[in-house]
Amino acid sequence: MEGHDVAHHGGAAGHHEWEVSLWPLLLSVSVLFVLPFPFALYFVYKSGLLAVLALGIGVPLLTVSLVGWVSEAIKGRNVNSVEQGLGTGAVPFFIVAEAFIFAGFLAAYWATRLLAPSWPPAGTPHISMTIPVIMTIILVSSSVTIHFAEEKLEHNNVSGFISWLIVTIVLGAVFFLISAYEWSHLMGAGFTFSTNIYGSSFFSITGFHASHVIVGLTGFIAVLIPALRGTVSKNFVKSVSVYWHFVDIVWFFVVSQVYFW
Amino acid sequence: MSAPAQAGFGKVLKEWIFTCDHKRVGILYLIGSLAAFLVAGLMAMLIRVELSSVGPTLTANPGTYNVWLYFHGAAMILGFQIPALTGFLANYLIPLQIGAKDVAFPRLNALSLWLFWMGIVLALLTFVIPDPPDFMWTAYPPYSIISSGNTAFYTFTVLIMGFASIAGGVNLITTIIYMRAPGMTWSKLNMFVWCTFAAFIVQLIFVPVLGTAVTMLTFDKYLGTTFFSPGSGGDVLLYQNLFWFYSHPAVYVILLPFLGIVFDVVATFARNRVFNYKAAVYGAIAVALMSGEVWIHHLYASGMPDWIRIGMMISTILISVPVGVMMISLVGTLYRGAIDFKSPMLWALGCMFLFLIGGLTGIPNAMSAIDLHIHDTHFVVAHFHYVMAVAGTFAVMAGVTYLFPKMFGKMCNEGISKLGFVVTFIGANVTFFSMFFVGLQGMPRRYFDYQQFPQFQGLNQLITVGAFIMALGFLIVLISWIHALVAGKKAVDNPWGSRSLEWTTSTPPGPGNWAEVPDCTNFDPYGYGSNK
Repeated sequence: MEGHDVAHHGGAAGHHEWEVSLWPLLLSVSVLFVLPFPFALYFVYKSGLLAVLALGIGVPLLTVSLVGWVSEAIKGRNVNSVEQGLGTGAVPFFIVAEAFIFAGFLAAYWATRLLAPSWPPAGTPHISMTIPVIMTIILVSSSVTIHFAEEKLEHNNVSGFISWLIVTIVLGAVFFLISAYEWSHLMGAGFTFSTNIYGSSFFSITGFHASHVIVGLTGFIAVLIPALRGTVSKNFVKSVSVYWHFVDIVWFFVVSQVYFW
Repeated sequence: MSAPAQAGFGKVLKEWIFTCDHKRVGILYLIGSLAAFLVAGLMAMLIRVELSSVGPTLTANPGTYNVWLYFHGAAMILGFQIPALTGFLANYLIPLQIGAKDVAFPRLNALSLWLFWMGIVLALLTFVIPDPPDFMWTAYPPYSIISSGNTAFYTFTVLIMGFASIAGGVNLITTIIYMRAPGMTWSKLNMFVWCTFAAFIVQLIFVPVLGTAVTMLTFDKYLGTTFFSPGSGGDVLLYQNLFWFYSHPAVYVILLPFLGIVFDVVATFARNRVFNYKAAVYGAIAVALMSGEVWIHHLYASGMPDWIRIGMMISTILISVPVGVMMISLVGTLYRGAIDFKSPMLWALGCMFLFLIGGLTGIPNAMSAIDLHIHDTHFVVAHFHYVMAVAGTFAVMAGVTYLFPKMFGKMCNEGISKLGFVVTFIGANVTFFSMFFVGLQGMPRRYFDYQQFPQFQGLNQLITVGAFIMALGFLIVLISWIHALVAGKKAVDNPWGSRSLEWTTSTPPGPGNWAEVPDCTNFDPYGYGSNK
């Protein structure tokens, strides 16, 4: 077990200083100002101004703490050397949790759909089947290209790795843009998440998937920027690419259930 | 605490607030969860005073009563029990019990801690905002959607605490798998480690589904989706299913760690190996695996075909088999042990007793034919308070009293501790045993008044008296801890004579726990006397 070795031979046992970091606390506080406060102020208390004010506090705080966290990790100052090696061990468990978010939404979708007297419910416009096919091809290709990138990295070909990584990022971005185009197109045709239960399910499920695409792309960019400066963490690449394959697999469920069924 | 003598107050404060150390994170979890416990306990007292007489007692406004119910349930479960067991105890104990210098991701651990605290802050805003949530911690639609209560704050409290749970779970699962000391094989792990491991698996699978349920709820209320509105093709019962798909397994997230700590305390004070260790471990894993197949019993009265009721009755009763195996192991650990009735042991034995009553009264609840009659009565309230609420709290008390010397280097006064236990134990039983009777007589739960049923007043007064006794007991416990912190005797490294690994560190343990990674080749956490 590689992780085991890293864990016990990575650094001296027993430090003499308490490990401290400012960023977890700051990040947690910023979350309050980025999510619940603006949401409640805008949607519950109908005060756009206060919502923007909360975001004005939250977003800079979030950015500062994320940047601080990442740079602390890169610098390796007060980092437990263990962290680097165990990331790949932890990602599968994180993905299990992620998978069950989709399972929850899909189960809800199946339940309402199987109990519905007719499907699709009234008010649903025609949804193009060409777009999801194109999106599937793009996303599967990006899964293949990130695999190529990893292979280049295995052979210590960093420039080849960077090229394939950029191709993957472009494919992912195109996927997201098509998704956004489809959303705006459907909304333009009067189909929104409040039209009927299909609209609610469609936009939530594809929206949650798109948000995962964004997270994956952010991860790739976090790999790309240090890579351009010549530092690549193989473990981190592995973690992000496993996550990306997961986003790809979930898409099969989304496309087969929400579009083609 | 054990910072170098020359360290100033500012440095100590910084080392606590910005800490990434698992022990300090654990203690800060404990402080947060005790804060939630106190405020939620206060709500319980308000509820009890309100119900102590027919007619409006404290308030004539059912909405106010609903807010108390909401805060009591949400804060006790999400703010106290789950964080105290999977936050405080797991964080403090697991690295020490497996011989690791910290958790796998110390900063992520600090993030979990502070997100949990932000959840507490959000929950406490209930008392500040003009539209506090008033729909219990279950937040069933359609009421939670049409109510003027703030569903958004409820949703975000759940989401933030849920994320903290998931991050904590990933962290500790990784720790247990990859960071065990050399020689610490899976078959040498403490029962607490095994049980918590199983609980974290349950959390990873089920918390996200609660996340989707409450997200849909808030989308429905504020963004106009129609998941739970039948008029547009949605389904109200869908929410109940998604909610209980998490919230029944949440019971096992509480149960498994609390049985785990009770195992360790009982083995230590009975000076005995865990009886049938392997079966108990398989029991814990089986509970985790089966936790997802019982949730529909919460919906017996909500309406479903009979064949589902029967299937769910069988599957619900089935899960009591592995739980029973674990109980037998616990009792077997006492058998022929040299039992020492120190205060942690009393709490652990109290927990076993309360859990047994709660478990046995769960059987009639599981039988759909009986449950249809006692559903939403105080019988159910008494059942889940026995099996989860007070049993879990007793286990937390056992854990805190057990670890107190290790955490703070001070011994609790045995006399005050035992007094606290006895008073709490009497109070808990007076309260919740009476509740069974008033429930069987038909007193519905969640009602703020019972003018139509004045015959329930006598028992309700008894329950209220019990609640005050219980509150007094917890107050004595709190005093015993403060007394110990201020004037407690200095603790040695292993005051209880335990064989477990956490007692081999210095007291309190410094950064990194051990100077050298311990060698566990010949280690046995339960190797007492002739069992070695």
